[in-house]
Amino acid sequence: MGPSGSGKSTLLHIIAGIDRPTAGECRVQGIDVARLNESELADWRNQNVGFVFQTFNLIPVLTAFENVELPLLLTRLSRGQRRHQVETALELVGLSDRARHLPRQLSGGQEQRAAIARALVTDPAIIVADEPTGNLDSHSANDVLTVLQSLSKQAGKTVIMVTHDPKAAAFGSRTIHLEKGELLGRDET
Amino acid sequence: MTIGSFILKNALRNKRRATLSVLSVAVSLFLLVALQVTLREITLPPEDIGAALRVAVRNKISLANPLPARQLPIIERVPGVETVSPFTWFGGKYKNEENMTFAQFAMDAKKLRRIFGEAKMSEAEYRDFEETKDSCIIGKLTAQKYQLKVGDRISLESTIYPCSLAFKIAGIYSGTIDDRNMLFHQEYLDEGCGTQGSVGMWWLKVKSIGDMPKVTETINRAFANSSAEVRAESERAFQLSFISMMGNVKVFVASICSVVVFTLVLVSASTMSMAVRERLRELAILKAVGFRRRELFALILAESFGLAMAGAVLGIGGAYLLFTYGSVPKMTNGVFVVFEVTPKIMAIAGLVASVLGVIASIAPSVSVARMSVVNGLRTLD
Amino acid sequence: MALPLKYNFRNVFVRWRATVATILGVALVVAVFVLVQSLAAGLEKASRNTGDARNVMIVRKGATAESSSQVTREQFKTIKYLPQIARDAKDQPLVSADVVILISLPRHRATNGEANVLVRGITPVGMQLRPQVALVDGRWFAPGKREAVVSSRIGERFANCQIGETFKTGGHEFTVVGLMEGGGSAFDSEIWVDADEARSVFDRENYSSVLVRAASPAGAQELISRIESDKRFPLRAVMEVKYYSEQTRTAVPIKVLGNLLGTAMSIGAIFAAMNTMYASVGARTREIGTLRVLGYRRRTVLAGFVLEGAMLAGIGGLIGCLFALPMHGYSTGMMSFDTWGEVAFQFRITPWLAVKGVVFSLVIGAVGSFLPAIRASRLPVIAALKAV
Repeated sequence: MGPSGSGKSTLLHIIAGIDRPTAGECRVQGIDVARLNESELADWRNQNVGFVFQTFNLIPVLTAFENVELPLLLTRLSRGQRRHQVETALELVGLSDRARHLPRQLSGGQEQRAAIARALVTDPAIIVADEPTGNLDSHSANDVLTVLQSLSKQAGKTVIMVTHDPKAAAFGSRTIHLEKGELLGRDET
Repeated sequence: MTIGSFILKNALRNKRRATLSVLSVAVSLFLLVALQVTLREITLPPEDIGAALRVAVRNKISLANPLPARQLPIIERVPGVETVSPFTWFGGKYKNEENMTFAQFAMDAKKLRRIFGEAKMSEAEYRDFEETKDSCIIGKLTAQKYQLKVGDRISLESTIYPCSLAFKIAGIYSGTIDDRNMLFHQEYLDEGCGTQGSVGMWWLKVKSIGDMPKVTETINRAFANSSAEVRAESERAFQLSFISMMGNVKVFVASICSVVVFTLVLVSASTMSMAVRERLRELAILKAVGFRRRELFALILAESFGLAMAGAVLGIGGAYLLFTYGSVPKMTNGVFVVFEVTPKIMAIAGLVASVLGVIASIAPSVSVARMSVVNGLRTLD
Repeated sequence: MALPLKYNFRNVFVRWRATVATILGVALVVAVFVLVQSLAAGLEKASRNTGDARNVMIVRKGATAESSSQVTREQFKTIKYLPQIARDAKDQPLVSADVVILISLPRHRATNGEANVLVRGITPVGMQLRPQVALVDGRWFAPGKREAVVSSRIGERFANCQIGETFKTGGHEFTVVGLMEGGGSAFDSEIWVDADEARSVFDRENYSSVLVRAASPAGAQELISRIESDKRFPLRAVMEVKYYSEQTRTAVPIKVLGNLLGTAMSIGAIFAAMNTMYASVGARTREIGTLRVLGYRRRTVLAGFVLEGAMLAGIGGLIGCLFALPMHGYSTGMMSFDTWGEVAFQFRITPWLAVKGVVFSLVIGAVGSFLPAIRASRLPVIAALKAV
């Protein structure tokens, strides 16, 4: 958590491997991500990180199913194997009945859940979420945060979320505060 | 800072898009001018100053049939006729070339100056040509193309007559509309190819313009019902009938032109309207600041018009410079001698550019009218 | 790994309103290209399709057109009894000497002026040697009469050439008594009359060409070398089919024109495709950022956009071919630079030509979208994610 300009998004980006630190190192699962080159980083991201955005960022011309399948196309899985994983991911977020719908046919909450399914589908160790509930009403937000929480508690995934909403932060088991690029303190629940 | 410099600054920031649009318009207009100029050349052959007084006489059956040489004294005696010469197409192939690139004609060398006065050569060259039976004169363009000079010998194999002839170049002429032809002695042709007693055509000069109609009529009547009926007509009419033999070429080129114009308008208009659409951010700022729709429309129109005109100057100007100062025979491999870019052609192209400018402003204007300021401001450029 | 094709494909369609002008532009460029080339193809077909494989054509050496070739009576007499020539049931050699003249006739519409038409003075044997020509209306001309059989294509394009009408030439009148069709060959541009009548009306002492039927393929080759090696004869002997298929002088400049025109117009189309794709990249910036985050490489994004541009233009190419298609088979005529007479032929759009047109459009699309694709692949991921 932190005010705007505190660097929380930047930190998230570095951890997720979509930005590089100007100095220092960042070890994720023991690997210094700053040292990997473009290609290695892309592959590492695909396998180890799932990203959830504030603006959902689903591809408009693909169905929910196809959106969730996208990360898997970069792997060597067969068609059948991919289908299995996508269906599993969609079931986890409760969107199995909406698989063939296009993003514009889904509500905001459903879109975000599809995005989470996409973040899950390669079974990464880390899920990174940047203000995931920023564009949602409180009811949908609740649904989404519940899903994220269960991913952490039941599926054993590391979920790192950036938010400025304390109610959303309450879903997390640990809260870290950032201000002007520096760590302040931690709250644990 | 004025509004003008504001827009200009942003125009320069978007150099790539603006350049693409201008280039697209320029290329399209260049093509349009080129097509129009070609069409004009095909359908309206160049007007030779001396042509007004010349008459062409050919076999009525078709140009491909010869005329008997005995017709000469009859034609010479027709009142109003000043000079007559045979004019026989040799159809020769030079070296081993597949196609003929210049025409060769046999004629009465002594009559050359009196019929075709425009050809410029030195007095010595004229005399040499007139007196040497196996000599020939060549137009400057052909001489340059094959690097021939006075005194060289060339030989040609006729595709019509069963013979080959060797010539000595007596002179190189210039100053006519078509400086490509070769002229030699009919006598030499007769001796070498066994064509005594027949000629391809007659070319003659009348004493004055007023004599022209009467002369052609008299000649046509003189040989009516003979074994070799003729068609005598002015040089201009002859050239035009030659062109009409090409038939559908005119229709063909004209229809290609229309399609090209339509395509241009379509392509360039869409190209430009997209370039202007990228300006939405700037326009959104203006709208937020308080500019009225009307003023925004005017700005858009000014910009697309400006792009179109820039393209016009580049395309039309480029075509004009290329065709007026460049070597047309070299560009078209000898097929065309001159491409005249008339004011009319340039005006038509300019009109197309203006229409383009207007059409291209329509789509962006509609977008601006509907746009919400907030969305416009968030466009990533 | 590549982006799924359906992603590119659906994006092309989803933005059709913005891209329709470019697609139409490419369609027109391809249509013009295909049409001009189909003119050349039609001309070539008319020449290639002419002649019987067993015949040998003999003309004067160095003559490029039959009308300017001369074969003398003595030469004809010598050729007539060469052993390699086939004979008919009555043991007569299957040889025909024709007289070919170009005459100037007025076109159907007076404003269209006149043109040269090829008149062939032919004998009954000559007609026998050309089985691809068939009478479709009326009757053949009677010997000794000033009658003519006109190709139906020529009849359509020139005045006074229908059955019963008369045309005037060389101071004499010929009555049209029949219409013929040459099966899409050079004979579709001719008027046939009795050989002797032609010689007398046009005052010809010599023949223009001689056509013979060889007794066998080997015999044909022997005949050709016999005639060409004989120093007495300034003659050229060649298989009839080969003689006609060599007449490409008219088609070649048209092909060159087609290529030039296509190239020039494609430049404008390339710019249009470029702008369309730039707009597309601009509208999908966030999407591109997302793909990069998911792990898709830069070059994958680049390839994807180039493919999309090609697809877009390809659709235009297909439409362009459809635009051109109605002209297939359309009859027209122009002056032949081989015979100097009018040649009647049809627009011919071959499947190969259509393929060429579509490939041309794909190239336009790929070239036009290259720079925008580079831009898309180089978008900074984080800024892209924040875009609208």
